[in-house]
This record gives sequence, C-alpha cells and structure tokens, in this order.
Amino acid sequence: MTADDVVQTNDLHKRFGPIHAIDGVTLSVRRGEIYGLLGPNGSGKTTLIRLLLGLLRPTSGSIRLLGEGVPNKAILGQVGYMTQASALYEELTVRENVAFFAEMCGRKDRAWMDEVIELVDLQDRSRSPVRTLSGGLRQRTSLACTLAHRPRLLLLDEPTVGVDPQLRATFWSYFRRLADSGVTLIVSSHVMDEAERCDRLGFMRQGKLLAEGTAAELRRQTGTSTLEEAFLQFAAAGSTEGGSR
Amino acid sequence: MSSRRILSLARRVIRQVLRDRRTVALIVVAPLLILTLGAILFRSTPAPIPLGIVNEDHGITSPVGGTINLGQRIADELAAGDTFTLVALSRNAVDDSLRDGSLQAAIVFPEDFTTQFLDDRQAVLDLRLEGSNPTRSLAISAQVTQAAMRSLASLAGTAMGAFPVAQAGEGKLPVTLHATYLFGGQEFDAMDFVAPVYIAFLGMFFVFLLACVAFLRERSQGTMERLAATPATRADIVLGYMLGLGLFAVIQVALILFYTVWVLKIHYLGSLGLLFLVITLLAVAGVTMGILASAFARTEFQVIQFIPLVIFPQALLGGLFWEVADLPAYLRPFAYLMPLYYANRAMRDVMLKGWGLAEIWPNLAILAGFIAALVILSALMMRREVA
Repeated sequence: MTADDVVQTNDLHKRFGPIHAIDGVTLSVRRGEIYGLLGPNGSGKTTLIRLLLGLLRPTSGSIRLLGEGVPNKAILGQVGYMTQASALYEELTVRENVAFFAEMCGRKDRAWMDEVIELVDLQDRSRSPVRTLSGGLRQRTSLACTLAHRPRLLLLDEPTVGVDPQLRATFWSYFRRLADSGVTLIVSSHVMDEAERCDRLGFMRQGKLLAEGTAAELRRQTGTSTLEEAFLQFAAAGSTEGGSR
Repeated sequence: MSSRRILSLARRVIRQVLRDRRTVALIVVAPLLILTLGAILFRSTPAPIPLGIVNEDHGITSPVGGTINLGQRIADELAAGDTFTLVALSRNAVDDSLRDGSLQAAIVFPEDFTTQFLDDRQAVLDLRLEGSNPTRSLAISAQVTQAAMRSLASLAGTAMGAFPVAQAGEGKLPVTLHATYLFGGQEFDAMDFVAPVYIAFLGMFFVFLLACVAFLRERSQGTMERLAATPATRADIVLGYMLGLGLFAVIQVALILFYTVWVLKIHYLGSLGLLFLVITLLAVAGVTMGILASAFARTEFQVIQFIPLVIFPQALLGGLFWEVADLPAYLRPFAYLMPLYYANRAMRDVMLKGWGLAEIWPNLAILAGFIAALVILSALMMRREVA
C-alpha cells in the first residue's frame, strides 16, 4: 500500500444469496497504471467494478478509491465508468450524450469534448441521434461519454466489445496515452490478446483473484507461452485449492 | 401459411404471457376490480341530501277546527321519503350552510305561506340551491316540487277543503318553484360541472404515463446505472425529471385550459391563474407518481397496466364520475389518498363557486404535501439503483 494507490480493496466479499460473487479480493492499482481484469463471463469482473463504484455494497471488506472510502458520490466526478452494454440516450445526438455526462460530473469543456469525439472517430456523426447508430458506433459514443469529464480513474467494463480491430488499436493507444498522463485505468476483458497491453493483470475466476502480475510474469510463473494457457493453469490450480477448502 | 408454425407461434406467445406473472394476475384481477367498483358505485343508494327548512309559516286556524300549517305539511312530506334529511334553521343561516357544504338546498316558507296559498291557490316555493352541480340542482327541484304537489293533494280530504278559494287558472300547476342559486345558476350545464374535474384528470393522466415510461427507459437502456456512477444523487434525478417533464405538463395544462375556456366555452368563475396553479400542481404530482410507479414496472407493457390499476380507480373514486360525498363510506378513504380528489375540490371551488386562494389553499397545501411525499418515496425506491 503506497500513497500512489488509486484503487485499493482489502479482502472484499460480495454475496448474492447463496452465490459468492466476489470472494476475498485484495487489489491495489497504482496511479497511471493500466490494470487488466481478465476472466471468463460470470467470473465477477462486473461485480467488482460495480463494488468499486459504490453501486453495490460489499458484504465485507473495504474499498478505497482515489484516497477516499466508498461509497462516496463526490469522488465519482473524477471517475469514468463504461458499462458493458452501451448506455446512451437514444433520442439525443452523440454530442448531446457526451455533453450530458460531462455536466452530470460537473465539468463541461467544449474543446475537450471535441477532442474526445474525434478520438472515437465520430466527428462526422456527432450530430446524429444515437438511435441511428450501429452497435460499434454506440460503443464508441459510450467511451466518449466516459471520458467526457476528464476522469482521473477509468473503470472500463469490456470496452472493446463490438469494436473493429483497427479502432480497438486506436482505443488501446489512447488508453496508453491517458495512463502516461497519470490517469489510472481498470479494464475488464475476456479477450486474452488485449491483456498483453495492460501493465498488470489480474486473473479472475469464480469471484477470486487467482493471480496477479505482468503478462510476462504470469507466463513465466506457469511456464507457458500464451496468457490463455497461463490462465488455464491458474484456473486448474485454483479449482483444486478451492476443492480442499 | 403453415398450421404447425401458427401453433408454435401461439405456444410461444402463451409461454411468454405465462412467464409474466403480473400480466396473468392483471388479466384476472383488473376486470373484476373495475366491475366491482362499478357495481358498488352504480348500485349505491345515494346518501340523503341535506335540505334546510326555514319555516316561518304562521298557518291558519280553520273555522271548522284545527290549525293548518302548509309549510309544515310540505316539510313532513319531504321528510317522509329517503331523498332528503331535513335541517331546520333560520333564514339568515341559509347561505352560510350552503357555502360550507352542510346543506345542498333550503326551502324558505314565509309567514304568510298558508294564507297566500288560500288566496291564490298557488304555492310559491322559495328554493335556495347551492347550485354548483346542475344535475343535482335539477333533481332537488323536481323532488321538492313533487313533494309539495303530494302534500297539496292530500289537503283535499282535510278541513282545507272547506275554505273558500279563488279558482286557479286552467292547467296551471298549484306549485311554482322560485329557485335561486348561491353558485352557478341556470346557465350552468352538466359539462360546466364536470369540466373542472376533467381538466384536472387529463392534466395528470398524460404526464403520469410520460414520466413512467421515461423513467422506465432510463433503467432499461442502462443509463440509470451510468447516472448512478456520477455524482448525481437520487434527489437530483427525481427533481430533474420533475422540472423537465413539468415543463410539458405546464404547456399541456395551458393548452387544455385555453381550449376548454375559449373553444368549448365552459362557464367558469374565479381566476384562470389560480386554475392554472391547481392543475400544474396536480400534473407535477402526476410526474412524481409516474416516477414512483415506474419502480414497479419492468416493461412498457407493464406501464400500460397501470391504467386499469392506478388511473381508472382514481377516475372512479377521485370525483370524476361520482362526487366523493356520494360514495359509500368505506370507499371514501381511498379518495382521500388521491391527489386528484384535492385538485378536483379546488378546481370546482374556483370554477363553480368563484373562490380564491384564501378559500382553497388547504387543498393546494395538501397537493404540495403529496408532491413532497411522492418525491421522497420515489427517491427511496431508487435506492437499489443509485447507491
């Protein structure tokens, strides 16, 4: 734990009835880091992100975000959240959506909004109502909305789903630029090749954080050549351990 | 066309409906509920109408023997039926009692009522009506005339028959009604009476649905989750909706008022500004009710289900079709839970009685209280979404 830790959780648990959705996650993410949450569907990535935002109350354990306890409405103004499915106002245009979320966070900066819309390559469609956009364009609009208020921390839940490979590369190079400027990112994904671009990775399975480290470290630890194989190794080890508990 | 496909489709549709338990319940419950309410309301024997009797009649002592007091006889006849409950009072108290609603009408028998009748063979009944409900005014007038006719007819077998009387004109009824109105008047028709309530109901109905659907979509399209992850609080969201949809409510209210007053030429007393205020308050209550109701709906179809469950009972019980005072006693408390009831009272007081803010403010205060309570309730219902 250092002063640089932007996100910190300590032995976090979340139960939904009999389901142990988050099972003892202790995590810390440093300032300017891109942290990849990797795991199959249903492994608890979304639940963890929602816990971090204070949208869910943990059953036990603690969370600190940007040095403050959660839930805390005020710090959410410095956090950008991108949901898995694009959540946009269908009748409003791209730009109106971006402006609305910026205003909700108390910051509206025209030049910055232009930049964000350009980043997701929607400058030509910025006046189109969202309802006329395809799935990929919606996903891009959604990212623009997430960035609209210049957040210091980004929580992105599968941001590249439905985005074509070229734009995905643009997204990632932009994520890197943001990280270099001091923004912290937590990006969830179930696509292993994206994981290579993260500074650090956390493998999640059945609500547990199986392993943490850089992609290279994780491969080295398991003696595998791909992250996918590494994940499977940790998952297998996790199962036997889980069985003995 | 393929019968197998049609059957598969039908099976799928049946399955879908059955999975939506609420729809199944609604199909069963809603018609029964509405029918029951209708049966109760249509079958309920109206409460007796409180009728004031000012009897100053001195009557007359017949030479044959016995005193005849015609005013008393008519009053007795009126009391015999179950249409009226009679209240004896003095002439001066009539208008006050009509104004505060404790009387619907009053008959004044002057001191020479009996002698006058003997001279003219004509009873002139001085009927003072509250007047805001034209249908009721007509009914009261008819009932009073009939009762007077019956009691005069019964005179034939009494000592009165022995009095020398002037011959009444041919075909002329022995009873003339001289009706005066505290509020309204003969130029007010049934629409004038219904209009204030109609206006209020429409002002609420549409914004209720609008708010309900808008808020529901906020959740179904995932933007509520996004909003929840911003510094926006529940109160911010509810009040923002109230303000935004409130604008449309105000525009609609203005349009409805303009149309009823200038195009449909509804009679009204009182100030238009005050009417505008009453309906706007009700419409804002409608917005908050919609937000609250949306918490109980998962689909837009379920929003439509609120029409028979939430809107229709309000129309039946809130005073749109039946006056709340005429409802059976066990249904009246439901009316008191409806913002529409208070808006209706205020609307009628302004439009039919010409009352001002000084008289109707309690109803406005209750409406404001409803709005505050609904805002708090709907904010609480959002707990699950916005931490």
